[in-house]
Amino acid sequence: MNHKGDFLSLLKHADTLQVDGEQTQGISEVNVPELLPSIKKPIRDAMVLPTQDRQTHSTTLALAEATTVVAMRYKDGIIIAGDRRATAGTSVVHDRAEKVIPIDSHSVLAISGAPAMAFEIARVLKHSFQYFRRSQLQELSVEGKLRTLSRLILDNLPMALQGIGAVIPIFALYAPQTDETVNGGKIYFYDALGAHFENVDFATTGSGSVWIRGVLRYLDRWGETRLEDMDEQQATITILRLLDTASEYDAATSGYNAKAEIFPTVKTITRHGVETLTDKFLNECYAEAT
Amino acid sequence: MRDMPYRWIEAIQDRADYIEDQLKPGSPVVGLPYADGSLLLTVSKGAQKIFEVHDRIALSAIGHPADIERLRMLVTDTASVQAFQSATEDVNLHRLTHYVLAHTFKQAFESIVGEAYIIKMLLVEIGNGAPETQFTHINYDGNVKVQHESGVIGGTEEIETAMQNYLTEAKNDTPPDLDSALQLALKTWAVGRKLSQSFADAEDSNEVSEDEIDEVINTELEEGEIEAGILDNSLSGDTKFRLLNKDEITRTINR
Repeated sequence: MNHKGDFLSLLKHADTLQVDGEQTQGISEVNVPELLPSIKKPIRDAMVLPTQDRQTHSTTLALAEATTVVAMRYKDGIIIAGDRRATAGTSVVHDRAEKVIPIDSHSVLAISGAPAMAFEIARVLKHSFQYFRRSQLQELSVEGKLRTLSRLILDNLPMALQGIGAVIPIFALYAPQTDETVNGGKIYFYDALGAHFENVDFATTGSGSVWIRGVLRYLDRWGETRLEDMDEQQATITILRLLDTASEYDAATSGYNAKAEIFPTVKTITRHGVETLTDKFLNECYAEAT
Repeated sequence: MRDMPYRWIEAIQDRADYIEDQLKPGSPVVGLPYADGSLLLTVSKGAQKIFEVHDRIALSAIGHPADIERLRMLVTDTASVQAFQSATEDVNLHRLTHYVLAHTFKQAFESIVGEAYIIKMLLVEIGNGAPETQFTHINYDGNVKVQHESGVIGGTEEIETAMQNYLTEAKNDTPPDLDSALQLALKTWAVGRKLSQSFADAEDSNEVSEDEIDEVINTELEEGEIEAGILDNSLSGDTKFRLLNKDEITRTINR
Protein backbone atom coordinates (compact mmCIF):
# COMPACT_ATOMS: atom_id res chain seq x y z
CA MET A 1 0.00 0.00 0.00
CA ASN A 2 2.74 2.46 0.91
CA HIS A 3 4.45 3.59 -2.25
CA LYS A 4 7.24 5.36 -0.36
CA GLY A 5 6.18 8.65 -1.82
CA ASP A 6 6.65 7.54 -5.44
CA PHE A 7 3.65 8.89 -7.31
CA LEU A 8 4.37 6.95 -10.51
CA SER A 9 4.40 3.72 -8.55
CA LEU A 10 1.16 4.71 -6.84
CA LEU A 11 -0.51 5.34 -10.20
CA LYS A 12 0.71 2.03 -11.54
CA HIS A 13 -0.92 0.18 -8.65
CA ALA A 14 -3.88 2.47 -8.10
CA ASP A 15 -6.46 -0.09 -9.15
CA THR A 16 -5.25 -2.42 -6.43
CA LEU A 17 -5.03 -0.01 -3.50
CA GLN A 18 -5.81 -2.24 -0.58
CA VAL A 19 -6.34 -2.25 3.12
CA ASP A 20 -5.76 -5.67 4.59
CA GLY A 21 -6.49 -7.47 1.36
CA GLU A 22 -9.79 -5.71 0.78
CA GLN A 23 -9.94 -3.59 -2.33
CA THR A 24 -11.39 -0.21 -1.56
CA GLN A 25 -14.55 0.68 -3.41
CA GLY A 26 -13.65 4.33 -3.57
CA ILE A 27 -10.48 3.77 -5.52
CA SER A 28 -12.00 1.26 -7.91
CA GLU A 29 -13.61 4.07 -9.88
CA VAL A 30 -10.23 5.61 -10.65
CA ASN A 31 -8.62 2.69 -12.43
CA VAL A 32 -5.22 3.40 -13.81
CA PRO A 33 -4.72 0.79 -16.48
CA GLU A 34 -1.07 1.56 -16.89
CA LEU A 35 1.61 3.98 -15.88
CA LEU A 36 0.94 7.46 -17.18
CA PRO A 37 -1.84 6.39 -19.52
CA SER A 38 -2.12 9.65 -21.36
CA ILE A 39 1.55 9.54 -22.23
CA LYS A 40 2.07 5.86 -22.71
CA LYS A 41 -0.86 5.15 -24.97
CA PRO A 42 0.12 7.64 -27.66
CA ILE A 43 3.67 6.35 -27.39
CA ARG A 44 2.47 2.82 -27.97
CA ASP A 45 0.22 3.90 -30.82
CA ALA A 46 2.96 5.94 -32.40
CA MET A 47 5.30 2.97 -32.31
CA VAL A 48 3.09 1.01 -34.69
CA LEU A 49 2.26 3.78 -37.13
CA PRO A 50 3.40 3.23 -40.70
CA THR A 51 6.24 5.49 -41.72
CA GLN A 52 4.17 7.73 -43.97
CA ASP A 53 1.66 8.28 -41.14
CA ARG A 54 4.43 9.27 -38.77
CA GLN A 55 5.44 11.91 -41.23
CA THR A 56 1.91 13.32 -41.26
CA HIS A 57 1.69 13.35 -37.47
CA SER A 58 5.01 15.05 -37.10
CA THR A 59 3.69 18.12 -38.86
CA THR A 60 0.32 18.28 -37.13
CA LEU A 61 1.38 17.52 -33.58
CA ALA A 62 4.52 19.55 -33.19
CA LEU A 63 2.60 22.63 -32.12
CA ALA A 64 4.90 24.47 -29.78
CA GLU A 65 8.22 22.89 -30.46
CA ALA A 66 9.16 26.27 -31.77
CA THR A 67 9.24 28.68 -28.90
CA THR A 68 11.53 30.67 -26.62
CA VAL A 69 11.81 30.23 -22.88
CA VAL A 70 14.56 31.81 -20.85
CA ALA A 71 15.62 31.82 -17.19
CA MET A 72 18.30 33.81 -15.41
CA ARG A 73 19.50 34.39 -11.89
CA TYR A 74 18.98 37.88 -10.54
CA LYS A 75 19.52 39.47 -7.14
CA ASP A 76 16.55 37.88 -5.36
CA GLY A 77 16.48 34.48 -7.08
CA ILE A 78 15.38 33.41 -10.54
CA ILE A 79 13.40 35.19 -13.22
CA ILE A 80 11.92 32.93 -15.87
CA ALA A 81 9.88 33.84 -18.94
CA GLY A 82 8.31 32.41 -22.06
CA ASP A 83 6.58 33.75 -25.13
CA ARG A 84 2.91 32.90 -25.71
CA ARG A 85 2.86 31.61 -29.30
CA ALA A 86 1.98 28.04 -30.29
CA THR A 87 2.56 27.06 -33.91
CA ALA A 88 1.85 24.18 -36.25
CA GLY A 89 4.16 24.38 -39.21
CA THR A 90 3.92 27.93 -40.44
CA SER A 91 0.55 28.58 -38.79
CA VAL A 92 0.03 30.33 -35.49
CA VAL A 93 -2.58 28.20 -33.71
CA HIS A 94 -2.68 29.88 -30.32
CA ASP A 95 -1.38 33.16 -29.00
CA ARG A 96 -1.96 32.74 -25.27
CA ALA A 97 -0.05 29.55 -24.50
CA GLU A 98 1.34 29.27 -20.96
CA LYS A 99 4.80 27.75 -21.22
CA VAL A 100 6.04 28.71 -17.77
CA ILE A 101 4.29 26.42 -15.31
CA PRO A 102 4.57 26.57 -11.51
CA ILE A 103 5.20 23.09 -10.11
CA ASP A 104 5.23 23.81 -6.40
CA SER A 105 5.73 26.76 -4.08
CA HIS A 106 9.40 27.18 -5.07
CA SER A 107 9.84 25.58 -8.49
CA VAL A 108 8.83 26.27 -12.08
CA LEU A 109 9.05 24.34 -15.33
CA ALA A 110 9.46 26.25 -18.59
CA ILE A 111 8.62 24.03 -21.53
CA SER A 112 9.65 23.86 -25.10
CA GLY A 113 8.51 20.94 -27.19
CA ALA A 114 5.28 19.15 -28.03
CA PRO A 115 2.65 20.69 -25.77
CA ALA A 116 0.69 17.50 -25.05
CA MET A 117 3.77 15.80 -23.66
CA ALA A 118 5.13 18.91 -22.01
CA PHE A 119 1.93 19.76 -20.17
CA GLU A 120 1.49 16.16 -19.08
CA ILE A 121 5.05 16.02 -17.77
CA ALA A 122 4.42 19.24 -15.84
CA ARG A 123 1.18 17.81 -14.43
CA VAL A 124 2.79 14.53 -13.35
CA LEU A 125 5.68 16.44 -11.83
CA LYS A 126 3.34 18.66 -9.83
CA HIS A 127 1.37 15.71 -8.48
CA SER A 128 4.58 13.79 -7.73
CA PHE A 129 6.02 16.57 -5.57
CA GLN A 130 2.74 17.05 -3.75
CA TYR A 131 2.31 13.33 -3.17
CA PHE A 132 5.81 12.98 -1.76
CA ARG A 133 5.27 15.85 0.67
CA ARG A 134 1.87 14.61 1.78
CA SER A 135 2.79 10.97 2.18
CA GLN A 136 6.35 11.24 3.50
CA LEU A 137 5.76 14.39 5.58
CA GLN A 138 8.72 16.23 4.09
CA GLU A 139 9.56 18.09 0.90
CA LEU A 140 11.24 16.12 -1.86
CA SER A 141 14.91 17.04 -2.03
CA VAL A 142 16.28 19.09 -4.92
CA GLU A 143 18.08 16.02 -6.27
CA GLY A 144 14.86 14.00 -5.94
CA LYS A 145 12.95 16.60 -7.94
CA LEU A 146 15.59 16.63 -10.66
CA ARG A 147 15.57 12.84 -10.94
CA THR A 148 11.78 12.69 -11.13
CA LEU A 149 11.85 15.04 -14.09
CA SER A 150 14.69 13.02 -15.67
CA ARG A 151 12.59 9.85 -15.46
CA LEU A 152 9.62 11.54 -17.13
CA ILE A 153 11.74 12.92 -19.96
CA LEU A 154 13.38 9.54 -20.48
CA ASP A 155 9.93 7.87 -20.54
CA ASN A 156 9.08 10.23 -23.36
CA LEU A 157 12.09 9.15 -25.45
CA PRO A 158 10.15 7.08 -28.04
CA MET A 159 8.07 10.14 -28.90
CA ALA A 160 11.17 12.30 -29.08
CA LEU A 161 12.94 9.81 -31.38
CA GLN A 162 10.06 9.85 -33.82
CA GLY A 163 10.13 13.60 -33.96
CA ILE A 164 6.60 14.03 -32.71
CA GLY A 165 6.93 14.68 -29.01
CA ALA A 166 10.31 15.90 -27.83
CA VAL A 167 10.26 17.98 -24.65
CA ILE A 168 13.27 20.07 -23.64
CA PRO A 169 12.43 21.99 -20.48
CA ILE A 170 14.18 24.37 -18.17
CA PHE A 171 13.58 23.60 -14.51
CA ALA A 172 14.22 26.41 -12.05
CA LEU A 173 13.82 26.44 -8.30
CA TYR A 174 14.77 28.26 -5.17
CA ALA A 175 16.20 26.17 -2.33
CA PRO A 176 14.41 27.78 0.64
CA GLN A 177 16.70 26.39 3.32
CA THR A 178 19.64 28.29 1.94
CA ASP A 179 21.36 30.85 4.16
CA GLU A 180 19.62 34.20 3.72
CA THR A 181 22.77 35.87 2.45
CA VAL A 182 23.13 33.33 -0.37
CA ASN A 183 21.05 33.38 -3.55
CA GLY A 184 19.30 29.99 -3.49
CA GLY A 185 18.09 30.20 -7.09
CA LYS A 186 19.09 27.28 -9.32
CA ILE A 187 18.52 26.70 -13.04
CA TYR A 188 18.66 23.26 -14.66
CA PHE A 189 18.69 22.42 -18.32
CA TYR A 190 17.68 18.99 -19.65
CA ASP A 191 18.44 17.09 -22.82
CA ALA A 192 15.96 14.76 -24.55
CA LEU A 193 17.39 11.73 -22.72
CA GLY A 194 16.73 13.22 -19.31
CA ALA A 195 20.25 14.25 -18.37
CA HIS A 196 20.27 17.46 -16.37
CA PHE A 197 22.91 20.13 -16.10
CA GLU A 198 22.98 23.06 -13.77
CA ASN A 199 23.36 26.35 -15.56
CA VAL A 200 24.77 28.75 -13.07
CA ASP A 201 23.62 32.09 -14.43
CA PHE A 202 21.14 31.56 -17.25
CA ALA A 203 19.51 29.04 -19.58
CA THR A 204 17.37 29.30 -22.67
CA THR A 205 15.74 26.75 -24.94
CA GLY A 206 13.39 26.57 -27.92
CA SER A 207 13.89 27.66 -31.50
CA GLY A 208 14.39 31.31 -30.56
CA SER A 209 17.06 30.51 -27.99
CA VAL A 210 19.85 30.45 -30.56
CA TRP A 211 19.37 34.17 -31.12
CA ILE A 212 19.69 35.17 -27.49
CA ARG A 213 22.12 32.74 -25.89
CA GLY A 214 25.07 34.82 -27.04
CA VAL A 215 23.39 38.00 -25.82
CA LEU A 216 22.92 36.45 -22.39
CA ARG A 217 26.55 35.46 -22.27
CA TYR A 218 27.61 38.97 -23.31
CA LEU A 219 25.37 40.66 -20.71
CA ASP A 220 26.48 38.34 -17.95
CA ARG A 221 30.16 38.78 -18.73
CA TRP A 222 30.45 42.38 -19.88
CA GLY A 223 27.10 44.04 -19.18
CA GLU A 224 26.93 47.24 -17.14
CA THR A 225 25.20 45.28 -14.38
CA ARG A 226 25.81 41.55 -14.16
CA LEU A 227 22.63 39.46 -14.39
CA GLU A 228 23.01 38.27 -10.81
CA ASP A 229 23.24 41.83 -9.50
CA MET A 230 20.09 43.08 -11.24
CA ASP A 231 17.03 43.99 -9.22
CA GLU A 232 13.58 42.76 -10.24
CA GLN A 233 12.83 45.64 -12.59
CA GLN A 234 16.22 45.50 -14.34
CA ALA A 235 15.91 41.73 -14.70
CA THR A 236 12.37 42.03 -16.07
CA ILE A 237 13.36 44.67 -18.60
CA THR A 238 16.31 42.52 -19.68
CA ILE A 239 14.25 39.36 -20.09
CA LEU A 240 11.55 41.23 -22.05
CA ARG A 241 14.22 42.64 -24.37
CA LEU A 242 15.62 39.14 -24.85
CA LEU A 243 12.23 37.74 -25.82
CA ASP A 244 11.71 40.68 -28.11
CA THR A 245 15.04 39.93 -29.78
CA ALA A 246 14.13 36.26 -30.19
CA SER A 247 10.78 37.17 -31.72
CA GLU A 248 12.51 39.48 -34.19
CA TYR A 249 14.47 36.57 -35.72
CA ASP A 250 12.33 33.52 -34.90
CA ALA A 251 8.92 33.35 -36.54
CA ALA A 252 7.71 30.86 -33.95
CA THR A 253 8.34 33.22 -31.04
CA SER A 254 5.88 35.99 -30.30
CA GLY A 255 6.76 39.35 -28.88
CA TYR A 256 4.54 41.70 -26.93
CA ASN A 257 1.19 41.97 -28.72
CA ALA A 258 0.21 45.57 -27.98
CA LYS A 259 -3.03 45.39 -29.96
CA ALA A 260 -4.41 42.44 -27.99
CA GLU A 261 -2.42 43.27 -24.85
CA ILE A 262 -0.86 39.83 -24.69
CA PHE A 263 2.30 39.85 -22.62
CA PRO A 264 4.89 37.11 -22.27
CA THR A 265 4.60 35.01 -19.12
CA VAL A 266 7.18 36.17 -16.60
CA LYS A 267 7.59 34.65 -13.12
CA THR A 268 10.05 35.12 -10.31
CA ILE A 269 11.14 32.45 -7.84
CA THR A 270 12.51 33.88 -4.63
CA ARG A 271 12.82 32.96 -0.97
CA HIS A 272 9.12 33.86 -0.70
CA GLY A 273 8.00 31.52 -3.47
CA VAL A 274 6.80 31.74 -7.05
CA GLU A 275 5.24 34.99 -8.18
CA THR A 276 3.68 35.86 -11.53
CA LEU A 277 4.51 39.38 -12.64
CA THR A 278 1.36 41.30 -13.44
CA ASP A 279 0.51 42.72 -16.85
CA LYS A 280 0.54 46.17 -15.27
CA PHE A 281 4.12 45.75 -14.08
CA LEU A 282 5.16 44.25 -17.44
CA ASN A 283 3.55 47.19 -19.21
CA GLU A 284 5.61 49.61 -17.10
CA CYS A 285 8.74 47.61 -17.85
CA TYR A 286 7.95 47.63 -21.57
CA ALA A 287 7.75 51.41 -21.42
CA GLU A 288 11.30 51.35 -20.06
CA ALA A 289 12.47 48.56 -22.34
CA THR A 290 11.61 50.13 -25.67
CA MET B 1 -19.91 -17.22 14.12
CA ARG B 2 -22.48 -15.23 12.15
CA ASP B 3 -24.89 -18.19 12.31
CA MET B 4 -24.77 -17.79 16.08
CA PRO B 5 -26.09 -14.23 16.50
CA TYR B 6 -25.67 -14.02 20.25
CA ARG B 7 -21.99 -14.93 20.14
CA TRP B 8 -21.39 -12.53 17.28
CA ILE B 9 -23.02 -9.63 19.12
CA GLU B 10 -21.06 -10.51 22.24
CA ALA B 11 -17.83 -10.60 20.30
CA ILE B 12 -18.58 -7.21 18.75
CA GLN B 13 -19.34 -5.78 22.16
CA ASP B 14 -16.07 -7.16 23.55
CA ARG B 15 -14.24 -5.64 20.63
CA ALA B 16 -15.90 -2.25 21.16
CA ASP B 17 -14.99 -2.34 24.86
CA TYR B 18 -11.40 -3.19 24.03
CA ILE B 19 -11.08 -0.39 21.46
CA GLU B 20 -12.67 2.18 23.76
CA ASP B 21 -10.31 1.22 26.57
CA GLN B 22 -7.38 1.74 24.22
CA LEU B 23 -8.70 5.09 22.98
CA LYS B 24 -9.56 6.52 26.39
CA PRO B 25 -6.16 8.04 27.26
CA GLY B 26 -5.66 9.50 23.78
CA SER B 27 -4.74 13.17 23.48
CA PRO B 28 -7.90 14.93 22.17
CA VAL B 29 -8.01 16.95 18.95
CA VAL B 30 -9.94 20.16 18.40
CA GLY B 31 -11.04 21.56 15.05
CA LEU B 32 -12.25 25.16 14.78
CA PRO B 33 -12.99 27.55 11.97
CA TYR B 34 -11.29 30.94 12.08
CA ALA B 35 -11.50 34.06 9.96
CA ASP B 36 -9.31 32.78 7.08
CA GLY B 37 -9.90 29.04 7.26
CA SER B 38 -9.81 26.22 9.77
CA LEU B 39 -7.54 25.05 12.56
CA LEU B 40 -6.71 21.62 13.99
CA LEU B 41 -4.93 21.49 17.35
CA THR B 42 -3.67 18.83 19.70
CA VAL B 43 -0.79 18.28 22.12
CA SER B 44 1.54 15.47 21.18
CA LYS B 45 4.68 13.85 22.48
CA GLY B 46 6.90 13.34 19.46
CA ALA B 47 4.84 11.74 16.71
CA GLN B 48 3.07 14.06 14.29
CA LYS B 49 -0.72 13.88 14.58
CA ILE B 50 -2.00 16.51 12.16
CA PHE B 51 -1.60 15.82 8.46
CA GLU B 52 -2.26 17.31 5.04
CA VAL B 53 -4.46 15.05 2.90
CA HIS B 54 -5.07 17.28 -0.08
CA ASP B 55 -5.19 20.93 -1.10
CA ARG B 56 -8.15 21.76 1.14
CA ILE B 57 -8.38 18.72 3.39
CA ALA B 58 -6.51 17.94 6.61
CA LEU B 59 -6.65 15.03 9.02
CA SER B 60 -5.97 14.19 12.63
CA ALA B 61 -6.66 11.07 14.68
CA ILE B 62 -6.26 9.39 18.02
CA GLY B 63 -5.51 5.72 18.40
CA HIS B 64 -2.75 3.29 17.55
CA PRO B 65 0.02 4.98 15.55
CA ALA B 66 0.25 2.08 13.07
CA ASP B 67 -3.49 2.25 12.33
CA ILE B 68 -3.39 6.02 12.00
CA GLU B 69 -0.52 5.75 9.52
CA ARG B 70 -2.16 3.00 7.48
CA LEU B 71 -5.46 4.84 7.13
CA ARG B 72 -3.77 8.19 6.58
CA MET B 73 -1.89 6.66 3.65
CA LEU B 74 -5.09 5.13 2.27
CA VAL B 75 -6.92 8.43 2.21
CA THR B 76 -3.88 10.37 0.95
CA ASP B 77 -3.24 7.86 -1.84
CA THR B 78 -6.87 7.89 -2.89
CA ALA B 79 -7.11 11.67 -2.94
CA SER B 80 -3.84 11.95 -4.92
CA VAL B 81 -4.92 9.43 -7.56
CA GLN B 82 -8.38 10.94 -7.93
CA ALA B 83 -6.90 14.42 -8.32
CA PHE B 84 -4.56 13.19 -11.05
CA GLN B 85 -7.12 11.10 -12.90
CA SER B 86 -9.83 13.71 -12.78
CA ALA B 87 -9.14 17.13 -11.28
CA THR B 88 -8.16 18.56 -7.94
CA GLU B 89 -11.61 20.12 -7.64
CA ASP B 90 -13.19 16.67 -7.77
CA VAL B 91 -11.51 15.53 -4.57
CA ASN B 92 -13.80 16.24 -1.66
CA LEU B 93 -14.25 15.13 1.89
CA HIS B 94 -17.69 13.63 1.32
CA ARG B 95 -16.37 11.17 -1.26
CA LEU B 96 -13.28 10.27 0.73
CA THR B 97 -15.34 9.70 3.85
CA HIS B 98 -18.22 7.73 2.45
CA TYR B 99 -16.57 5.77 -0.35
CA VAL B 100 -13.18 5.08 1.21
CA LEU B 101 -12.88 5.51 4.96
CA ALA B 102 -16.25 4.76 6.59
CA HIS B 103 -16.73 1.32 5.09
CA THR B 104 -13.07 0.44 5.70
CA PHE B 105 -13.51 1.26 9.39
CA LYS B 106 -16.81 -0.65 9.58
CA GLN B 107 -15.48 -3.69 7.77
CA ALA B 108 -12.46 -3.98 10.05
CA PHE B 109 -14.57 -3.48 13.15
CA GLU B 110 -17.13 -6.13 12.25
CA SER B 111 -14.70 -8.73 10.90
CA ILE B 112 -14.18 -10.17 14.32
CA VAL B 113 -11.54 -12.64 13.26
CA GLY B 114 -9.36 -9.89 11.85
CA GLU B 115 -7.60 -7.02 13.53
CA ALA B 116 -9.65 -3.96 14.38
CA TYR B 117 -8.53 -0.42 13.84
CA ILE B 118 -7.97 1.41 17.09
CA ILE B 119 -8.72 4.84 15.80
CA LYS B 120 -11.02 7.83 15.78
CA MET B 121 -10.45 10.31 12.99
CA LEU B 122 -11.27 13.96 12.49
CA LEU B 123 -11.04 15.44 9.00
CA VAL B 124 -11.62 19.02 7.97
CA GLU B 125 -12.29 20.54 4.59
CA ILE B 126 -12.49 24.22 3.78
CA GLY B 127 -14.91 25.11 1.00
CA ASN B 128 -13.75 26.01 -2.46
CA GLY B 129 -15.80 29.16 -2.83
CA ALA B 130 -18.46 27.64 -0.57
CA PRO B 131 -18.82 29.50 2.70
CA GLU B 132 -18.90 26.45 4.94
CA THR B 133 -16.19 24.47 6.56
CA GLN B 134 -16.90 20.81 7.16
CA PHE B 135 -15.61 18.75 10.08
CA THR B 136 -16.08 15.01 9.71
CA HIS B 137 -15.74 12.71 12.70
CA ILE B 138 -15.33 9.00 11.92
CA ASN B 139 -15.67 6.55 14.76
CA TYR B 140 -13.79 3.23 14.90
CA ASP B 141 -17.03 1.42 13.88
CA GLY B 142 -17.46 3.51 10.71
CA ASN B 143 -20.09 5.89 12.05
CA VAL B 144 -19.76 9.33 10.51
CA LYS B 145 -20.78 12.64 12.04
CA VAL B 146 -20.54 15.83 9.99
CA GLN B 147 -20.46 19.22 11.68
CA HIS B 148 -19.89 22.74 10.41
CA GLU B 149 -19.18 24.86 13.48
CA SER B 150 -16.45 22.76 15.09
CA GLY B 151 -15.21 19.21 15.48
CA VAL B 152 -13.56 17.31 18.31
CA ILE B 153 -12.27 13.83 19.01
CA GLY B 154 -11.58 12.52 22.48
CA GLY B 155 -11.15 9.18 24.20
CA THR B 156 -14.86 8.70 24.94
CA GLU B 157 -18.19 10.13 23.86
CA GLU B 158 -18.56 11.85 27.24
CA ILE B 159 -15.26 13.64 26.75
CA GLU B 160 -16.29 14.78 23.29
CA THR B 161 -19.64 16.05 24.61
CA ALA B 162 -17.92 18.03 27.36
CA MET B 163 -15.51 19.54 24.84
CA GLN B 164 -18.37 20.46 22.50
CA ASN B 165 -20.26 22.04 25.41
CA TYR B 166 -17.22 24.14 26.28
CA LEU B 167 -16.97 25.30 22.67
CA THR B 168 -20.69 26.09 22.52
CA GLU B 169 -20.45 28.28 25.63
CA ALA B 170 -17.46 30.14 24.20
CA LYS B 171 -19.06 30.49 20.78
CA ASN B 172 -19.08 33.85 19.07
CA ASP B 173 -21.20 34.83 16.08
CA THR B 174 -18.22 35.90 14.01
CA PRO B 175 -15.34 33.48 13.39
CA PRO B 176 -12.37 34.36 15.62
CA ASP B 177 -8.96 35.39 14.31
CA LEU B 178 -6.26 32.74 14.32
CA ASP B 179 -4.79 33.75 17.68
CA SER B 180 -8.15 33.60 19.46
CA ALA B 181 -9.00 30.31 17.75
CA LEU B 182 -5.68 28.82 18.91
CA GLN B 183 -6.28 29.88 22.49
CA LEU B 184 -9.85 28.56 22.52
CA ALA B 185 -8.77 25.29 20.89
CA LEU B 186 -6.04 24.79 23.50
CA LYS B 187 -8.49 25.35 26.37
CA THR B 188 -10.98 22.97 24.79
CA TRP B 189 -8.20 20.42 24.40
CA ALA B 190 -7.40 20.84 28.10
CA VAL B 191 -11.04 20.13 29.00
CA GLY B 192 -10.82 16.85 27.13
CA ARG B 193 -7.42 16.02 28.57
CA LYS B 194 -8.53 16.68 32.13
CA LEU B 195 -11.58 14.43 31.70
CA SER B 196 -9.56 11.62 30.12
CA GLN B 197 -7.32 11.68 33.22
CA SER B 198 -10.23 11.74 35.70
CA PHE B 199 -12.15 8.99 33.93
CA ALA B 200 -9.11 6.81 34.28
CA ASP B 201 -9.39 7.10 38.06
CA ALA B 202 -13.13 7.21 38.70
CA GLU B 203 -16.41 8.28 37.14
CA ASP B 204 -16.16 11.95 38.05
CA SER B 205 -18.19 14.95 37.03
CA ASN B 206 -17.44 16.30 33.57
CA GLU B 207 -17.28 19.89 34.72
CA VAL B 208 -13.81 21.41 34.34
CA SER B 209 -13.00 24.79 35.90
CA GLU B 210 -10.79 27.46 34.29
CA ASP B 211 -8.19 26.88 37.02
CA GLU B 212 -8.09 23.19 36.17
CA ILE B 213 -7.75 24.03 32.50
CA ASP B 214 -4.72 26.24 33.19
CA GLU B 215 -3.21 23.58 35.42
CA VAL B 216 -3.63 20.86 32.78
CA ILE B 217 -2.06 23.07 30.12
CA ASN B 218 0.94 23.91 32.31
CA THR B 219 1.47 20.29 33.34
CA GLU B 220 1.02 18.74 29.92
CA LEU B 221 3.23 21.24 28.15
CA GLU B 222 6.16 20.22 30.33
CA GLU B 223 6.48 17.03 28.27
CA GLY B 224 4.22 17.56 25.27
CA GLU B 225 4.20 20.10 22.48
CA ILE B 226 1.29 21.93 20.93
CA GLU B 227 0.77 20.87 17.35
CA ALA B 228 -1.45 23.00 15.15
CA GLY B 229 -2.22 22.82 11.44
CA ILE B 230 -4.27 25.27 9.45
CA LEU B 231 -6.11 25.27 6.16
CA ASP B 232 -5.65 28.89 5.22
CA ASN B 233 -7.74 30.33 2.39
CA SER B 234 -5.45 33.34 2.18
CA LEU B 235 -2.46 31.22 1.04
CA SER B 236 -1.77 31.98 -2.61
CA GLY B 237 -1.05 28.51 -4.02
CA ASP B 238 -3.38 25.54 -4.52
CA THR B 239 -2.26 23.97 -1.26
CA LYS B 240 -3.95 25.65 1.67
CA PHE B 241 -2.47 23.50 4.45
CA ARG B 242 0.47 24.35 6.63
CA LEU B 243 1.66 23.39 10.10
CA LEU B 244 2.22 26.34 12.41
CA ASN B 245 5.80 26.57 13.59
CA LYS B 246 6.86 26.65 17.24
CA ASP B 247 7.45 30.40 17.26
CA GLU B 248 3.98 31.18 15.94
CA ILE B 249 2.35 28.92 18.51
CA THR B 250 4.44 30.16 21.44
CA ARG B 251 3.84 33.79 20.53
CA THR B 252 0.08 33.23 20.49
CA ILE B 253 -0.18 31.15 23.63
CA ASN B 254 1.95 33.55 25.70
CA ARG B 255 -0.11 36.54 24.59
